[in-house]
Amino acid sequence: MSTNNRLWRAGLATGAALALAACSSSGSGSGGSSAAPKSPLVIGASVSLTGDFADSGKAVKAGYELWADTVNAKGGVLGRTVQMKIVDDTSSPNQVVTNYQNLIDKDKVDLVFGPFSSLLTVPASQVAKRYGYAFLEPAGGGPAVFAQKLPNLFFVQPAPVVKQGDVFADWVLSLPPAQRPATAAYTELDDPFATPVAENVRLRFEAAGIKTVYKQVYPAETQDFSTIMAKVAEAKPDVLVGGTQSEDAYGQVKSLVQLKFSPKFMFLSNGANSPVEFPDKVGAGNTAGIMSSGDWFPASKAYGSDEFAAAYVKKYGGTTDTIDNTSAEAYAAGQLVEAVATKTGKIDNATIIATLHQGTWPTVLGDLSWDAVGRPSGSFALIQWQNGKLVPVYPATVAQAQPVSPKPGWGG
Amino acid sequence: MTWTGVLKGGVFVLTLAVLPLLGLPHWVLNMLIFVLMFAALASAWNLVGGLTGYPSLGHAAFFGIGAYAFALLLHGQTELTDGWQPFAWLPAIGVGTALIGVPIAAIAMRTRADVFAIVTITLLFVVQTLAFNLHGLTGGAQGLSFPVAPFPADTFERPFYYVLLGLLVLAMLLTFGTLSSKIGLALATVRGDEDKARGLGIPVGSAKVLAFAVSVGLTAMVGAVWAYYQVGIIYPQFAVDPLITIAMVLMVFLGGRGTLWGPVLGAFVLESGQQYLAYELGPSQFYLIAYAMIFLLIMLVLPRGVLPSIAGRLR
Amino acid sequence: MGEPVHALVQGLILGVLTGGVYALMASGQTLVFGIMKVVNLAQGALVILGAYLSYQLFVSFGIDPFLAIPVTTAVMFALGVGVHLAFLRPLRREDRAELSLLVTFAVALLIEGVIGVVWSTTRRSINTSYANDSWTVAGYQITVVRFAAFALSAGALGLLILVLHRTRFGRAVRATVQNPESARLLGVRAERVAALGFGLGAATAAAAGSVYGLLYPFNAGSHYDLISLLLSIVVLGGLGSIGGAIAGAMIVSVSSAVVATTVSPSWAPMTFFVLLLAVLLVRPQGLFGRPA
Repeated sequence: MSTNNRLWRAGLATGAALALAACSSSGSGSGGSSAAPKSPLVIGASVSLTGDFADSGKAVKAGYELWADTVNAKGGVLGRTVQMKIVDDTSSPNQVVTNYQNLIDKDKVDLVFGPFSSLLTVPASQVAKRYGYAFLEPAGGGPAVFAQKLPNLFFVQPAPVVKQGDVFADWVLSLPPAQRPATAAYTELDDPFATPVAENVRLRFEAAGIKTVYKQVYPAETQDFSTIMAKVAEAKPDVLVGGTQSEDAYGQVKSLVQLKFSPKFMFLSNGANSPVEFPDKVGAGNTAGIMSSGDWFPASKAYGSDEFAAAYVKKYGGTTDTIDNTSAEAYAAGQLVEAVATKTGKIDNATIIATLHQGTWPTVLGDLSWDAVGRPSGSFALIQWQNGKLVPVYPATVAQAQPVSPKPGWGG
Repeated sequence: MTWTGVLKGGVFVLTLAVLPLLGLPHWVLNMLIFVLMFAALASAWNLVGGLTGYPSLGHAAFFGIGAYAFALLLHGQTELTDGWQPFAWLPAIGVGTALIGVPIAAIAMRTRADVFAIVTITLLFVVQTLAFNLHGLTGGAQGLSFPVAPFPADTFERPFYYVLLGLLVLAMLLTFGTLSSKIGLALATVRGDEDKARGLGIPVGSAKVLAFAVSVGLTAMVGAVWAYYQVGIIYPQFAVDPLITIAMVLMVFLGGRGTLWGPVLGAFVLESGQQYLAYELGPSQFYLIAYAMIFLLIMLVLPRGVLPSIAGRLR
Repeated sequence: MGEPVHALVQGLILGVLTGGVYALMASGQTLVFGIMKVVNLAQGALVILGAYLSYQLFVSFGIDPFLAIPVTTAVMFALGVGVHLAFLRPLRREDRAELSLLVTFAVALLIEGVIGVVWSTTRRSINTSYANDSWTVAGYQITVVRFAAFALSAGALGLLILVLHRTRFGRAVRATVQNPESARLLGVRAERVAALGFGLGAATAAAAGSVYGLLYPFNAGSHYDLISLLLSIVVLGGLGSIGGAIAGAMIVSVSSAVVATTVSPSWAPMTFFVLLLAVLLVRPQGLFGRPA
């Protein structure tokens, strides 16, 4: 977002605040309710707008702001206008700590939302805990986050990140034995979110008798996948399980296409769930049959999803296919605030912390619920590329198509 | 050492020592912690890069070594009862890293200054790669966890603040001691013309190695405190981060290489400026450009740094 | 032929092909050092900038990166000369050696910042129609892009060497590298050679950048990894020697690919560091450098 736009936005927000203040200071309300206009609900968040996490950070910001606009159009939260105060942590853990200190202690925001990535969520959530603030965070779901055992933290996604592969394992193991893969290869990005996902699947597959014929953990800077994928091709596994982020997922697929090897089953934990990027990077004809996991997709029927998608396209342009699901996750955090306010009539940190630990809460990601340390108790959906689109195929409660198996060959 | 010098130092330390007790808000203390941290780091770097004239561009490697050493020492424990006890490890970490620094300096400082710089950059990336690859030891990309500091929320920042202040004072005392001693003279001649110094019989080799060892030992201790302040877990790309070296170098250059107060001034100005700007100016890509422009401006306009330039004007 | 041998040879092929590209980047770096005794820490950033320029020409006008090279090299040559005049020439001679490291690093940060503003920090790659094509030769897989990159790099290096040995400018450069004082006495204008030399270094970065963008995804922050690699190569080969840069690039690239294939990809980045330190211990001036 350009500086101009931001200044304009800040000016507008300031103008609105001033107008509200002017109204209240003029004594009698000018028409309408007799109660004094309420102070805005200021929600602070530190998000990575520059640095390594910038792309996703911007998607988070887009989601938070979209929610603020949507809820304000409906009258705000408990009559209070929502103001997002979003600052840049430059993808640095030092800066994220400073930012939350400043937001909470200096600017005295009412509530806070989380940053992008578990790496930044961990130090940030500790700051929030010291001040007794609830910490709704859409992007920190690695094991380290829950190991902190914080009662004020809620990961706004259906399940912890390590469970991304579990839904794929569920489906494979639900197949009759004759149709299951016999051999498996694992390619894992060395990263707190990718490796554990693939490892979880591997443990379950090995227990079920699916033999591991190749496994390789590769460092984050790996640019060249030809060596690794050549070894995969040589091992000829029935199923390839990739614990990936985006760039490496694209690299793996491209290498396999060049090597002319296509496994019967293929799962990539990330990268393949990007509706526009994935076919763009690997070639639209090569996506068919590849599976991934997701929590939001354009065809979702979850609570508020249509409204979210329509509002997103209206505000930011593009089509529902270009919506980054990170924005949906951020938006869901806002939905939770709305829900707590509607249910309890209050919107302070203690109330949020106490209320969200019970029951299930409908959001654009489906119904969410958490354990005592903020771990969500649901599961992701298994999605698959069919006819150039990502569709949920498992479990049956969310499936909109049958899973296609085995995976078609490379289309080029 | 003049009496004004002692007075300046005393007032400086006392003022900083009293600040947390004045009821300053947490966010100010937080910013001061980072300022003190970088002031100590800059002063430590000054010993090698400023006094000795060997620009090490890999100091962040030792910062990371200190951080990981600290995390490893605490890793086994599930909970901390006494928050102050981990600080007792600092001297051991400092001395240990200094000892590691000795053979490295002996090899690396045999070369010219620019090759030395390249070797230190290389060292930085080696340490970072090791941090990522030695899963059994460092946890690799998954990070290394350790128990959270159990200080009460009200005064959470204070212990870190005071320990860092202590490290800064230590660094400055060492700098002062070096400047006014024979070793300082030796280093100054090394900076000017190393061959001539050697010709004069000055123990050039040992002076350089000593400066390097002390410098990295200090750096490691600061790294350990940083890790502790990170509450609970550290990751390789943040513990061993080239940008930390860049910040240290820039602060020393801004304030004045080879001076006592230069690095401190540089840290105070740049760190508080950077944290404040990043927060207030918010989502701006321009901060990197601004950083680079300040850098370039300093090099071109004030090549000696602020303090020496002012001193030059006043003369 | 057994599987491990096959994998090893495949790794060697990959190493050689990639080495060509690195040789091109490193030659520009070592040239600048030879002329000005300046370690240009911005070379990595210049390569990335070249990649972005190619990317933009491809995305906006559909120009293939290889065809865009004449344009990008010309632009970056001018940029290189400009950077030298603006930031390096003003440095006083006695400060130059010390400050040039930091000045060029600041230039790298500046380039990174500008890239971030203009193109944002999204990772880009140049996806031509032939990006995924490969040939199979004697059972070994050779990607079209990688081969073309090697061919281009070899050609560009050949051109560079030709310039250095057959043109008046090239002779002036070599004279300056070998003996600055004598060169000056013979009428070589040192400052002019320095500025044009820096421009030439940037031009090699532009050419390498075009092919780099075809091989790897990149963003504003990619220059850090690249510069550490380049520095290892030029020190290994000997600062100031183009032959050294080529040899260094090949050694580093091949050994790194071999380690990735036979040991594990995680340890591949370490190979060149280890090689570098080993060479420095035994021969501090590098393979082809002259003793200090």
